[in-house]
Amino acid sequence: MNLGYLLREGFAGLRRTPLAALTSMFSLFLAVLLIGVLARVGYNLYEVAEYLKSRVEVEVFLEDLDRQSERDLEQKIEKEALVELVRYVSREEASRIFRQEFGMSGETEALAELNFLPASLKVEPVRQATVAQVDSLVGVMKELPGVADVRFNLALLETLERRSEQLALAGGLLVFFVLLTAMILVFNTIRLTIYAKRDLIRAMKLVGATNRFIRGPFVVEGMLQGAIAGGLALGLIVAGFEGVLPKLITRTDLLGWPYGEWYYLVGALFFLSVWMGWAGSFWAARRFIRNERI
Amino acid sequence: MSVQNGEHVIKMDGVKVQYGDQTVLNDIQFELRNGEFCYLIGKTGSGKSSFLKLLYRDIKPATGSVRVADMDLSNLPDRKVPLLRRRLGIIFQDFQLLPDRNAYENVAFSLKVTGHKSSVIKEKVMEALGQVGLSHKRRSMPNDLSGGEQQRVVIARALVNEPGILLADEPTGNLDPEASRSIMDLLTKINHRGMAILMVTHDYNIVRRYPNRITQIRNGSLVEKRLQ
Repeated sequence: MNLGYLLREGFAGLRRTPLAALTSMFSLFLAVLLIGVLARVGYNLYEVAEYLKSRVEVEVFLEDLDRQSERDLEQKIEKEALVELVRYVSREEASRIFRQEFGMSGETEALAELNFLPASLKVEPVRQATVAQVDSLVGVMKELPGVADVRFNLALLETLERRSEQLALAGGLLVFFVLLTAMILVFNTIRLTIYAKRDLIRAMKLVGATNRFIRGPFVVEGMLQGAIAGGLALGLIVAGFEGVLPKLITRTDLLGWPYGEWYYLVGALFFLSVWMGWAGSFWAARRFIRNERI
Repeated sequence: MSVQNGEHVIKMDGVKVQYGDQTVLNDIQFELRNGEFCYLIGKTGSGKSSFLKLLYRDIKPATGSVRVADMDLSNLPDRKVPLLRRRLGIIFQDFQLLPDRNAYENVAFSLKVTGHKSSVIKEKVMEALGQVGLSHKRRSMPNDLSGGEQQRVVIARALVNEPGILLADEPTGNLDPEASRSIMDLLTKINHRGMAILMVTHDYNIVRRYPNRITQIRNGSLVEKRLQ
């Protein structure tokens, strides 16, 4: 059994029973489309959560120190393993920020003139740091001499982390059930397709074809169906997320493509689609051909 | 086929076939020699088709031994069944042609599944179609052929692998008398070339017109018969 024969018969199978092939491909198309949209939105949600987490800064307010002591303290904090970046904010800069954020009314101007805000260090923890680790870093920094107070939004971080975990679990379960449903659907559709060709199978058995030989073209046909359905679904997903959605929705944070490398997802989904076509047709053909009598 | 003239191509000994509690064939002893033509007759439901199914190993006997074309079917593993079927030519009443392929492709199909080269396939298919007198209709689709012509394509498909035995299950069952006669003439010609034929039929006109050995299945047992 050569590859040429398998491909010729695989394509011929699509041509000979177009309705059955279309039904199988539609099942595969829907499955890939659903999983693709879920994966894309899920990944974007994860990226947004990670981005928000990275925006949470720890503010270390300093006591009234000379510049050299401030620099020493900055360097000490920079050396902490969980610290990504430290930025110094002088009293003057803090006043300027205060003016920007609260406007230039007479009252705020008077307060800013007092230069009452302390100098601070804005500390950005490393991206992979958990809330508990950030909390312990805060504890360490609080004990450093020259530190007046340390503030950070623990509640927001905790909520983000909790929601991310819940989202990952819910998304994972949803993808699992969609995948399972799709596999059952694809398996049964391909089984019906093969059942529609029982005359061909009987004729092949009659003339002494091995089960493997009979199965080959069906499996290739299943993989071709997977490739065609996957290609169409992915084309629609890319066109939808890159072309249509950004025009319909101005802010496409959770729906658009800005995050991650899209071709990984496209590659993975295409492989998944071909695999579903292969697995569905292999199992269905194996069972049916083995049990079919002349 | 390595079977020499006069040797058994089929030998059944003490064969019993059961479907659930029902015994269809019981203690069957049967032999068919190379070059022999034998009719298998019997009432509807008497077990004629089961008898043939035993020979192409679509079913296994409950007890007894079955030898076909030098293969012991009682111990034949499933993976070797295709090898057995390549040594047999099988013809059915309902033709079982592939409706989406023409006469040539239907016959060639038999050789494709056994991995022959295209040049060999072309030569053998044309020869087989020539033997059944259908070379000129090689491009016709099954639906464009008459019943008799479709059965000729089936015979060509059965012959193309050069089997030693032809098993025919009511090959004239769906044909008018004229087409039936033409198929029987063809089968007789093939038999005269040395091929063993076991043919299931309930058409006594054919049995009388083309006299050959007759075996009847009666109450699950085999009885050798002579023409009255």
